[in-house]
Amino acid sequence: MTLENVLLVSGIIFAIGLYGVLSRRSAIALLMSLELLFNAVVIAAVAFSRFTPPAGLADGGVVTANEVRAALTGHVFAVFVIAVAAAESALALALIFALYRAKQTVEITDVSEMSK
Amino acid sequence: MNETFEASGIVTFAFWVTSAITIAAAVMVVTVRDVFKAAVFLAGSFIGVSAIFFLLNAEFVGVVQILVYVGAVSILIAFSVMMITDVSRGSQPSRARYASVTVAALVVAAIAITAYNTDWTLNEDLTDPAAIAGLAGEFVEEELESGEGRITSTDGLGITPDTVVQTGVLHDSTGTIGGLLLREFVLPFETVGLVIVAALIGGLALMRPRRHEPDSRGGG
Repeated sequence: MTLENVLLVSGIIFAIGLYGVLSRRSAIALLMSLELLFNAVVIAAVAFSRFTPPAGLADGGVVTANEVRAALTGHVFAVFVIAVAAAESALALALIFALYRAKQTVEITDVSEMSK
Repeated sequence: MNETFEASGIVTFAFWVTSAITIAAAVMVVTVRDVFKAAVFLAGSFIGVSAIFFLLNAEFVGVVQILVYVGAVSILIAFSVMMITDVSRGSQPSRARYASVTVAALVVAAIAITAYNTDWTLNEDLTDPAAIAGLAGEFVEEELESGEGRITSTDGLGITPDTVVQTGVLHDSTGTIGGLLLREFVLPFETVGLVIVAALIGGLALMRPRRHEPDSRGGG
């Protein structure tokens, strides 16, 4: 388990999510693919945090509290991304419901055809 | 996680198994026609990602992932699918499938090439406390005086000797993350709270029945 391998897994999940965003017709499925994109980015953030430990930690020398905090900043970023993604999905589902009530469909191609 | 456990390859094996399950579930999410099945596979994918977090020594992020994604977002999406999906019509086939596959393949190739051709070894200049202090100015230097030397639990910032383990990874990181969230990152932390409240109010406003249009369900 090296940084490169974790980044590869993150990239694969990101690409799968990107494929979903580009190819799905249902707005809900599109939202699911977006969540996959968020997850891939969070994996990358945590991986960088895990594999670039403070220098003192790596060679068993002196570690300062600042170095530990710097190393854990990636985790804090991950938590922020998760929180924002949760807010985004709540809002997106409300939008999808509003769309469904107005147009009786959540297929994005139908909506774009109707708006012409 | 001690050194022999790490070196035995169990962690690496578990990582690849977990990654394979996660990627398979993600592929099902974007390919399966039934949107409800896609939601179930999405929950499975979320669990796999949280397992990857645990393997990366990020227990707190893993638990947050389970709580927020598996516990909240998946359920929300599943309920939405049950309320919205038009079963009689079924899901339509994908659009622009080949172009999407091409774009996704290019992206994963670019990420893989970048990941494997970049020298990720630590830049010593940037982890040297003196260098960080020089870059960040007075603030860090003040912090350094209190945090210099071997970490003890007396600095009151949630960093204990347990935070450091000999294999070069951090563990028991939750206390430190809490300290980070409420000290260095307190402004983003509060802003995220504001964003969530704004999203909730926005969602309620979007869902509210229009005044002049009578609600067909006889509600408000």
